[in-house]
Amino acid sequence: MDRSTLHSRIAQSPILRYGLAVGASTIALGVALLLGLFHFRNVADPLFLIAIAITVWFAGTGPAILAVIFSGLADTYFFIEPLYSFYITREDVPHFVIFLLFASLLTGFADVRRRIEQELLQARDHLQSEVLERTQQASLLNLTHDSIFVRDMDFVISYWNLGAQELYGWAAEDVIGKHSQQLLQTVFPAPLEDIDAELLKTGRWEGELQRTTARGIPVAVAARWSLRRDEHARPVAILETSNDITERKRREQEIQGLNLELAKRSSELEAINKELEAFAYSVSHDLRAPLRHIAGFTELLQKKVSSVVDEKSKRYITMILDSAKRMGNLIDDLLAFSRIGRAETQKTLVSLTQLVREVLAEVRQDTEGRNISWKIGALPALYGDRSMLRLALVNLVSNAIKFTHTRPLAEIEIGCADGNTDDVVVFVRDNGVGFDMKYVHKLFGVFQRLHQSDEFEGTGIGLATVQRIIHRHGGKVWAEGVVDGGATFYFSAPKPQG
Amino acid sequence: METTNKLGRILLVEDDPKDVELTLTALEEYNLANEVIVARDGEEALDYLYCRGEYKTRSSDNPAVMLLDLKLPKVDGLEVLKQIKSDGTLRMIPVVVLTSSREEKDMVASYKLGVNAYVVKPVDFHEFVNAIKELGVFWAVINQPPPGSVRN
Repeated sequence: MDRSTLHSRIAQSPILRYGLAVGASTIALGVALLLGLFHFRNVADPLFLIAIAITVWFAGTGPAILAVIFSGLADTYFFIEPLYSFYITREDVPHFVIFLLFASLLTGFADVRRRIEQELLQARDHLQSEVLERTQQASLLNLTHDSIFVRDMDFVISYWNLGAQELYGWAAEDVIGKHSQQLLQTVFPAPLEDIDAELLKTGRWEGELQRTTARGIPVAVAARWSLRRDEHARPVAILETSNDITERKRREQEIQGLNLELAKRSSELEAINKELEAFAYSVSHDLRAPLRHIAGFTELLQKKVSSVVDEKSKRYITMILDSAKRMGNLIDDLLAFSRIGRAETQKTLVSLTQLVREVLAEVRQDTEGRNISWKIGALPALYGDRSMLRLALVNLVSNAIKFTHTRPLAEIEIGCADGNTDDVVVFVRDNGVGFDMKYVHKLFGVFQRLHQSDEFEGTGIGLATVQRIIHRHGGKVWAEGVVDGGATFYFSAPKPQG
Repeated sequence: METTNKLGRILLVEDDPKDVELTLTALEEYNLANEVIVARDGEEALDYLYCRGEYKTRSSDNPAVMLLDLKLPKVDGLEVLKQIKSDGTLRMIPVVVLTSSREEKDMVASYKLGVNAYVVKPVDFHEFVNAIKELGVFWAVINQPPPGSVRN
């Protein structure tokens, strides 16, 4: 048990404290009386003072006053003439007063000392707990992933956490006391004076810095500075928190590069599209004119000379006219095809039932004199461009009519097949001449024909147009066929939402 | 077909001589060609309408109808149309665009400028002749032209 605990145990109990006062004084009295028996003189006063001193040391002021009173009375009674009375002669008054004064002084001094000691102890405890707290806080800063360091206004580093060590590669003991600028080779995004000005004005600064690690690798960091001022508001230190943004920067640059590339590509495409548009326009306008002239003047020629030329010449003239007409159709179909690629789609909810009815009305003139059995199933509604979908259906139905013309009874069925949950599948089936499945991949190409042109006339653009329209609607086209056993053309399109 | 005494004057604006010939032939076939003025570009058409240049001395009345090609040298058809439709006295002249262009943007632009009809020249000669005939008959014979236009 050390002194302080003895102290505190005594201090905690009033009985012990006052007991000590009475005990110490009584022992002093006993020893003084004992020494008196052996004719020692003037020992009582020092002994009482020792008792008072012990009391004030261990038990404090209150018990010490009790000890002073007790000692004073005992001294008067046992050792000051007349003995065994509390009466004090005039000659003994100064002696007694000096004794009391000295005892009081002793009590006072001891009390002051005690108080100082207590305050010191408290201060020490306080300091200890503060040190503990600070140490804990400092180690907390080590827990963060961010790099944190503190430097003074002359760039001298005074604190360096684990994050900083991880980021820059130096340990705290290597950098404390060093010049942060020289160490990290910082490149600022703005003149340092401007940064300092902002820091001094607002107490904060944020920005991206370029630095070099201990291994000489460049890093980009996002830094936040906070200014610390002393009690006179003078700036004394800067705390910097930063994190590594090298990877982010690299990605940003990559994205920027890709964006630039994309913008370039898109403007190139736009230019190409414009060119195509100009080309199509030119075809539409300029190719048609000479064709019209060929047809026109040939017809005029035919009229003029029909009575004088032979049959062969007449046939040649007819062939020129047929070719001109065919080329006109080709131009029209090609233009329609290219227009599908260029035109904006205007999507609405389109009822296929209604659309098929319109299409059948449109193709009626091609079916005159034909024996066709139509079978139209229940058809869904689609979200799409009405005129484009109509063109697709016209092409499919016209094909079915065309390729069944060798049949005494043509059967054409339009219906809805089971698709998956997201798509609608529509088919057009005929019992016509069909096709060989080994050429199915050629079916939807521009100018691809699977039949000789004198057998089934056509430009070879119809199915390519259908495919383009369906692709623009986010769907697919495909076909099944058997030579001389009919063909089925399918297209899918996304189901309307909601 | 005797309609000569009630024919309106037709202003044909067409740069291609072959088209001019075909058009005139078609009009002739139906005796509609006795009063056709041919302008070979947009500037000439405007000269005619404003009685300037070589048309300084013509009588100041307007044609009963104007057949206008779009693709023209110097001043193109749309510009001519714009000029006519923004002029108080010329605005009333019926203008028929007669062009090879099936392009939607040409059609939209023409109608926006206030064209009275838009006809795509058919490649097939019969259809072409029919179209010209019907245009000639409708605009030069059937239609009552606005006051101030020529009717022979």
